Amino acid sequence: MKIVEILNEQVVRTNLPGTTKTEIINAMIDLAATQDRVLDKEKMREAIFEREKIMSTGVGSGFAIPHGKTDAVRDIVAAFAITEQPIDYQSLDEQPVRIVFLLVGRDNMVGPHIKLLSRISRLMNREEFRKRLLEAHTPAEVLEIFRQEEESHFEV
Amino acid sequence: MFAIDVLLFIGAVLILASIAIAKASDNLGVPTLVLFIAVGMLAGSEGPGGIFFDDPALAQSIGVVALIFILFAGGLDTRWSDVRPVVWQAVSLSTIGVILTAVSVGLFVHLVLNFSLLSGLLLGAIISSTDAAAVFSVLRSKNVTLRSPLKPVLELESGSNDPMAVFLTIGTIQLITSPHAAVVDLIWLFIVQMGLGLGIGYGVARLIVLLLNRMKFSYEGLYPVFALASASFVYGLTALVGGSGFMAVYVAGLVVGNSYIVQKKSLFRFFDGLAWLSQIGMFLTLGLLVYPSRLMHVIVGGLLVSAFLMFVARPVSVFLATSFTQWGWREKTLISWVGLRGAVPIILATFPRLARVPDAEVIFNLVFFIVLTSALFQGWSLPAAARLLKVDAPLRQRRKYPIEFEATDGVDAELQEFIVPYNSAVVGKPIVELGMPPNSLIVLISRDERMMVPSGGTVLEPGDTLLALVSREQIPRVREILSERRSKEDSESGEF
Repeated sequence: MKIVEILNEQVVRTNLPGTTKTEIINAMIDLAATQDRVLDKEKMREAIFEREKIMSTGVGSGFAIPHGKTDAVRDIVAAFAITEQPIDYQSLDEQPVRIVFLLVGRDNMVGPHIKLLSRISRLMNREEFRKRLLEAHTPAEVLEIFRQEEESHFEV
Repeated sequence: MFAIDVLLFIGAVLILASIAIAKASDNLGVPTLVLFIAVGMLAGSEGPGGIFFDDPALAQSIGVVALIFILFAGGLDTRWSDVRPVVWQAVSLSTIGVILTAVSVGLFVHLVLNFSLLSGLLLGAIISSTDAAAVFSVLRSKNVTLRSPLKPVLELESGSNDPMAVFLTIGTIQLITSPHAAVVDLIWLFIVQMGLGLGIGYGVARLIVLLLNRMKFSYEGLYPVFALASASFVYGLTALVGGSGFMAVYVAGLVVGNSYIVQKKSLFRFFDGLAWLSQIGMFLTLGLLVYPSRLMHVIVGGLLVSAFLMFVARPVSVFLATSFTQWGWREKTLISWVGLRGAVPIILATFPRLARVPDAEVIFNLVFFIVLTSALFQGWSLPAAARLLKVDAPLRQRRKYPIEFEATDGVDAELQEFIVPYNSAVVGKPIVELGMPPNSLIVLISRDERMMVPSGGTVLEPGDTLLALVSREQIPRVREILSERRSKEDSESGEF
């Protein structure tokens, strides 16, 4: 599955306000929950914060990928944001986070979920790609950058 | 030839026929319970089967046993995290709602069908509960999925209102048969029954959980047997000390199903099968017990009561019992429509027959007729009603477990995914050098488009997603391993 297939302009922000990790994750959840594939927002929130407790999803280089598995969604739910300010995300490399990808999968679809996780986290490890994303001004631009990058990086 | 040979053969044929018919009617959307009853009626003394069966006492025993397992399995399958937010709404529905239904139907029957007030109330009490088996089977069928919080409310309501209906029925029979009984005594009886049911159900269930996890049975097959006997034990114990056994067994199912237990999946499957067998057995028996020709006499009255129940009594009860909630009229209307009656009323309708209450025969036939129309009409139209009211949720995909793991005795571990941080010290290292703690195992690595089963020599890359089997205690250790940062020199050697 392609990343551009799970994102749309409604769930992408280029200047998400917020100052703390919790605020940012909650704002992402609000963003994602505008879609009717989210059946139970609070349960989804619980799953995401539960996962965050196990290990910070700030994987480094200013990128974080909060995620979770739950039956409170009917299909894969995603949201993407560039934050207005750098956020302390308790990342391993202690770099503040600017780029956040939220991914929630159904708990009976482990395969697609971890495939997408790795696809996103692998892509985000490219410095030049992150730079281009940070320079995007509109959700449409963000989606276009994703589209180009996926085309060049993956065969599929 | 022994009697048991005949019994086994006939029983097996009926059950197989029921399964075949349920399968063949997959696409019709008819509630399966109606089909099972139909098989029973066809096999019965007035159908082509010609089996003579007229033993309400035996039917009642079969019904009670079946109900125990249906309620226990229903409890097992109900997730506490789903129902917790709606407990009060469901409790209100299964207490206030049930009483309102019973009383309003009772008055209607008294005024319109010329029953005595007490007989009317008895009929009202008998059909006052929605049926767990019917509601579960419709809600879990492939045809409809409801938005939360509707599904958990309806399941919790239907599981917990049977004890209430049982209580009201027995109470009303007491009022009829012993002139000295007072309503005050009934209230006290209610508190005792429900209190004991809740208390014993909860207490014994905790013990069951403890024993399941502590006792290391030498044979896996003993776990379901242990649970089966425990469920019967909970019912029997509670009933013997004067509590509501149905309440206890449902609560026990809830507690066990929401606890951490070994062999959970196999227990669930066992009880799922058992619940199906119970449903089929119970409805077959009830179908055998009824004489279709006698139903003909009550068609007019039955239709009147049925319509009153569906369009007046149930909606009014639901709207009043949930008036304190934030739900909109769509939700309340749908809850009103899922007022399926099922086996419980029919089983309860055998009580007055056994207690030799006047009108018992008419009441039984009326109840049977009402159950059939309600299950058929409401069950059938539920998916359409849900769509019309816009409270349906998209159908769930068929459950797939590409990667499944069951907690087993001795292996206290779960599947957990980890993402390899970009500058973690593990990057570039083969798995064998990570120093993963004992009782933990990386079972799968997802990288770009590939999924691979790693070997000790597999080298990790940044952004790899690992699926690992880790015990709860070892999660901090695994986190430590993955979170160790690469030393300066390493990180300068460039980005991946």
